[in-house]
Amino acid sequence: MTLSTPLRETAAIPSVGADVAIALDHVEKHFEDKQGNPIPVIRDITLDIREHEFISIVGPSGCGKSTMFNIIANLLEPSAGSITLRGSHPIRGAHIGYMLQRDLLFPWRTILENVALGLEVAGVPRARRLAMSREHLERYNLADFADAYPHTLSGGMRQRVALIRTLITDPDVILLDEPFSALDYQTRLVLEEEILSILKSFDKTVVLITHDIGEAIAMSDRVAVMTQRPTSVKRLYEVGLSRRLGSCLKARSDPRYQTLFDQIWADLDIQMGGPAS
Amino acid sequence: MSTASLYTRRIEVSADETKPRKHQDHHLWKENLWRLAIVAVLIVAWQFAVDFGWVNAFLMGSPGGIAIEAWRQLQSGQLLSDTWTTLYATIVGFLLGSIGGSMAGLLLWYSRHVARIIDPFVVALNGLPKISLAPMIIIWFGSGMLSKVALAFIATFIVALLSAYQGTHQIDANLVNLMRSLGATKRQIFLKVVVPATLPWIISAFRLNIGFALIAEIGGEFIASDKGLGRSIFVAGNLFNLNAVWVGVLTLMLVAIALYLVVSRIERHLLPWESR
Ligand SMILES: Nc1ncnc2c1ncn2[C@@H]1O[C@H](COP(=O)(O)OP(=O)(O)O)[C@@H](O)[C@H]1O
Ligand SMILES: [Mg+2]
Repeated sequence: MTLSTPLRETAAIPSVGADVAIALDHVEKHFEDKQGNPIPVIRDITLDIREHEFISIVGPSGCGKSTMFNIIANLLEPSAGSITLRGSHPIRGAHIGYMLQRDLLFPWRTILENVALGLEVAGVPRARRLAMSREHLERYNLADFADAYPHTLSGGMRQRVALIRTLITDPDVILLDEPFSALDYQTRLVLEEEILSILKSFDKTVVLITHDIGEAIAMSDRVAVMTQRPTSVKRLYEVGLSRRLGSCLKARSDPRYQTLFDQIWADLDIQMGGPAS
Repeated sequence: MSTASLYTRRIEVSADETKPRKHQDHHLWKENLWRLAIVAVLIVAWQFAVDFGWVNAFLMGSPGGIAIEAWRQLQSGQLLSDTWTTLYATIVGFLLGSIGGSMAGLLLWYSRHVARIIDPFVVALNGLPKISLAPMIIIWFGSGMLSKVALAFIATFIVALLSAYQGTHQIDANLVNLMRSLGATKRQIFLKVVVPATLPWIISAFRLNIGFALIAEIGGEFIASDKGLGRSIFVAGNLFNLNAVWVGVLTLMLVAIALYLVVSRIERHLLPWESR
C-alpha cells in the first residue's frame, strides 16, 4: 500500500497516532456465483479509521466500496481478515449509523415516525421516542414536515431527514454511502456544507463513500482511493481543507483543492483506462 | 427455481391490479351525467323496441317488466333475503380466504424452505378452476350457506397467498439492510418492513377476490342451494322468467359495486401514503 501525504495537517485534524475508531486488518471478501466459484471483490483492505475524522472512500464503481461498508456494519462477514471497532468486534445497531444510498425513508411512515425508527428498533417507548424525534426535527428546522409522508418532500429534504434518523441513535461511527448521488449539483453543495456542520457539531467519526472526487476533497480530512475490483486501498491523501478553512466552499476554491483533484483523478484514471476498457 | 414460479404466477394474477387506481375528480360530475344519459337511452330504447314488437320480451325481458318484478320481490321480502344470503356467504368466505391467504403468504417470508416445498401445490391449486370443487364441497358441507362460504374461501385463499408472498419478494432489499444495520430482529423486520411494504399487494388481491368470491358463491348456488341470488337467477332462468333473471343479475351488480367501494375505502384507510 502506498501512503502519500501531500499536505502537512494541522493539529486540529485527527492525525497519525490518534486513537483508532475502526481498524480493518487484511480484510478480504469474495462472493460465490451460481456455480459456487468464488468472485473476489475485496482483495485486501488494511485501513485505520481515526477517531473523529472524516474520511472519504473514492473508487471505480463496482469495486467493492459498499461491500466494505456492509462488512464494517457487520451485515456481512469478511472472508478473511478482521475488523475491530474501538478494539472489539462491531455490534449491529448501537455503535454504527449506516446511511445507505438514496434516502431510504419508509414511504408508509410519516417523517416523524421515520426519524424515530432507530429508537423504535432499540425499544425506546413510543412517547419518548416521538418526543426525541420532534426535538431533533425542530433543531434542524424540519418540524413543519413532521406529519408529512416522505414522497411530499424534495430529495434534499429527504436526505436531511435520513441523516437525522441516522444521528438520533447517537452512533459512534457514521457510514455514508453515496448520500448525495441522486441530488442535483446545487442541492448537493448546500447539503455537503450543512451535513458537514451537523456532523462536526456531533464530533463523530464519519466515513463517506462518493464517486465525486471534488466532494471527497471538499469535505474530508483524508481520502482513500481504491483500486478496481478486487479492491484494496491504492493511496491515502491527507486533506483537511474544510476543517482548516471552515467550509466546503472555501475548500473548493483553495489552490490545493485542484492539485489534489488532479492527483486523485490520475489515480483513478490509470485504473479506469486500464485493461477493463 | 421453485420459488421463482410462485413469483411469476403472481404477476399473471394481478399485473394490472397492482397499482391502486387514481382518478382526477374535476370532471367527475360531467362524466356521471354522461353515464346516466347512456343508461337512460338504453332503457328507453329497450322499452320502445319491446313495445313495437322489434324485440321479443319473452326472450329478453323488458325494463317495465323488470321494474314490476323487482317491486314484487321487494314487497314479498324475497329480494332482500336472497341478497342477504348471497352477500353474507360471499363476505364471510371472502374475508376468511383473503385474510387467511394474505397471512399465510406473509408468513412464508419467514422460511424460503417451506415456501419452496409447498410451491408446486400452490401452483397446481392456483391453476385449478375452484368451481370444479363445488360438487365435492356441497357433498361435504351440505347445500346451505356453509358450502358457499367454503367455496368463496377456497377461491380467494390462494390468490391472496400468492399476492402477499410475491409482495414480500418485491421489498427493497436496502430497507431490510437498513433495519439490520439498526440491529433489528427478524420479527421487527417482518412487522415494520415486510407487512407494510406488502399491504398494497394484499389490497390488490382483495380487489380481485371480490370477483372470485362472487363467482364461487353464485356457482355454488347454481349447483345446489335453497336461497340466494344465484338460486333465484337459476330458477327464474329455468322458468324462462327473464325479468326475474334480470332482477337477480342487476342486484348482483349492485352487490359487487358496493363491495368494491368498501375495499377502496379500506385501501384509503390502510394506505394513506399512497394517496398522492
Ligand atoms: N451479495 C452479492 N453476491 C454476489 N456479488 C455481489 C454481492 N454484493 C455485491 N456483489 C458484487 O460485488 C461487486 C462490488 O459491489 P459493491 O460493493 O456494491 O460496489 P461499489 O459500492 O464499489 O460500487 C459488484 O461487482 C457486485 O456485483
Ligand atoms: Mg455502492
